[in-house]
Amino acid sequence: MIELRDLEFRYDQSTFALQIEHLRLEATEHVALIGPSGCGKTTLLNILAGVVLPHAGVVQVADQPVAQLADARRRDFRIRKLGLVFQNFELLDYLNVRDNILLPLRVGRGLAVTAALRERAEALASRLDIADKLDRHPQQLSQGERQRVAVSRALLLQPAVILADEPTGNLDPTNKFVVLDLLLDYAREAGATLLTVTHDRELLDRFERVVDFAELNSWRPA
Amino acid sequence: MSGVWYLAWRYLLWHRWKAAILVAAVSLVLYLPLGLQLLVEQTARDMNARADATPLVLGARGSPLELVLNALYFSDEQPPTLSYAVVAELRDSGLVDPVPLYVRYYSQQVPIVGTSLDYFGFRQLQLASGRQLATLGEAVLGYRAAADLGVGVGDFVVSSPQSVFDIAGVYPLKMPVVGILAASYSPDDEAIFVDLKTAWIIEGIGHGHQELTRPEAASAVLKTEDDRIVANASLLQYNEITAANIDSFHFHGNDAELPLTAVLPVPRSDKARVLIQGRYQQHESLQLLEPRAIIDQLLATVFAVQRYVLVAMGLVALATTAVVLLVFLLSWRARRPEQDTLHLLGGSQAAVLSLMLAEVIMVMVLSVLLATLLVVLTHWFGGPLLKAVVL
Repeated sequence: MIELRDLEFRYDQSTFALQIEHLRLEATEHVALIGPSGCGKTTLLNILAGVVLPHAGVVQVADQPVAQLADARRRDFRIRKLGLVFQNFELLDYLNVRDNILLPLRVGRGLAVTAALRERAEALASRLDIADKLDRHPQQLSQGERQRVAVSRALLLQPAVILADEPTGNLDPTNKFVVLDLLLDYAREAGATLLTVTHDRELLDRFERVVDFAELNSWRPA
Repeated sequence: MSGVWYLAWRYLLWHRWKAAILVAAVSLVLYLPLGLQLLVEQTARDMNARADATPLVLGARGSPLELVLNALYFSDEQPPTLSYAVVAELRDSGLVDPVPLYVRYYSQQVPIVGTSLDYFGFRQLQLASGRQLATLGEAVLGYRAAADLGVGVGDFVVSSPQSVFDIAGVYPLKMPVVGILAASYSPDDEAIFVDLKTAWIIEGIGHGHQELTRPEAASAVLKTEDDRIVANASLLQYNEITAANIDSFHFHGNDAELPLTAVLPVPRSDKARVLIQGRYQQHESLQLLEPRAIIDQLLATVFAVQRYVLVAMGLVALATTAVVLLVFLLSWRARRPEQDTLHLLGGSQAAVLSLMLAEVIMVMVLSVLLATLLVVLTHWFGGPLLKAVVL
C-alpha cells in the first residue's frame, strides 16, 4: 500500500516543486505513472523510497511513515520492504551476477548472505532465465539480461512494494514486455504493490491503473 | 567474508593490476629502508665476525682493503704477491704461526684457495665427509661450494683458465674432491681448498709432463744441451695429477720465490702480536694489517652512504604516499555512481566510507605482508647477495 497526503517538496537550487494532495495505491494494485521528462516522477519515487525527504505531508509506504523514520530505519526499510528497479540498472561492474543480486545484503545493516538467500537468488535467476549467467559480470550481458539481474536483486527479499523507474527504457521491444511481465507476475503472486514510471504507452494496457503525473502534481510554475 | 570487506575484496580482484601496482609501491616504501638496514647490519656482523677471527694479515704493499678482502673473503681483488720466503721468516721469528694463502684462481666462479693444512686448524673447519688433503692435486670443498658445483667426494673440479684467449697459458687442472667441509657460515663455505703447491701448478709455475728421455717424447725434443733438454709445445702436459704421473710434477726456480697473495700470521701471545706488528710497521715492501681496523673503515663508509640513502628513501616514501593517497581519492571520485547505487539500495554513508576504508586496509595489509616476505628473503639471501656485489 502507498499513500500520499498533502505532500510538498522542492529542490533548493530549482524553482521546480511537487505538491500532491492525495494519492493512494492499494496493496495489490499495479499502477503506471506517466508524464513528460523532468516533471518529477523520479523525484516522487525517491520520496517514496526515502532517498529524499519531503518538506511537508504524509508518506505512508507498506504501513510505514517513511519520512518520519530515523535514517538507519529508513534505509533498513528500503532494503527489506522495497524493491527498486532503475532504468540504468545500477549494477556494479566488479561483481558478478550472483553478487549483484545479493548486493543489498552486503550493504544493509544486520543482513547476511545465508544459504537460503543464495538459493533464492539462484531460483530468481533461473526464473528470469539468467541462471547460466550467474558467474558473469554485467559487461558480459545484454541490456535485457542486465535488467533481469536488476529485477532479481529487487525481488530478492520479497518486497511488499516495487518501485520501478522506467525499467524498460533501455530495452528492445521484446525484452521490455518480458521484464514488465516479470514484475507484474511477481506482484500478483506476492500480493505486492507495483508503481512503475514509464514513457512507453504500449505498456499501459498491462496496468490496472494509469496515473498522469501532470494531473497528480498541483504545483504550477509562476 | 562479510559485507563491505567482501565488496572491497571483489573490487581489488577486479582491478587487480591497479591493486598490484599500489601494493608493490607501498611494499617497496615499507621494505626498502628496513631491508637496507637489515642487509647492512647483517653484512657488518658477518664481516666483523670474520675480521675478529683473523688477528693479522700480512701482504705486499698496496691497497690494504684489497688485501684484507682477498685474504678473508676470497674476493676477486688481485693484491700484489709476496714471496713464500716470508713464511719461513715468520716461522723463524718464533712469534707467530704463519698460514700462507694463494687466492687467484677459480673453478666456475668459486675461488680456489691454495693454503696449508694449518688453515683448517686456524679456522676450526671440520670435515663433513671424506678426508683431508693428502697428496698434490686434491681438493676439499666448502659445503656451499660443493652444492653450487653439484659435486661430492669422488667427483672432480676443474680450475677455470684465466683467459680463454691465452692459448699458450696454463691448462685447466682437474682435481679430485676428497673432502667436503661442514658448514661454518663463513666465506670458507664457498671456497675450494687445495694445497699451496697445487695452486702454483694451476698458476703454471709447477707442471708435470711426458718423460723427455722416453722414445714417445722424441718428436717433441728440439735440442739436448748437457743436462738440459729443450722441447716444443707438442710435449704432452698432464692436466690431472695421478699416482702414475705425480712424480713428473716439478717446479722451476727457487721455492722461496714462489708467490703468495697473503699470509695470516697467528700470534702465539699478545706480546708476540705487538712485537710482530712493530717488526713490519716500517717494512718497505710488506704491510701487516689488523683486519678489524680495515673492515671498520669500510663499514664506516657503508654506514655513511646508508644514511644518505635512507634520507633519499624517506623523501621517496613521502612522494609515494602522496601519490597513493591521490590514487585513492581520484578513484573514489571516479566511483561516485557506484556510491550513489549503494545509497539507493539502502547503504549508509558509513557503509560506503567503510568500503573505501576496507580497500585501503586490504592494500596496506597486503603491502605489509609482501614487505615482510621481502624482509625475510633479505634475511635469508640478502647477506650473500650483498657480499657478492661488494666483494
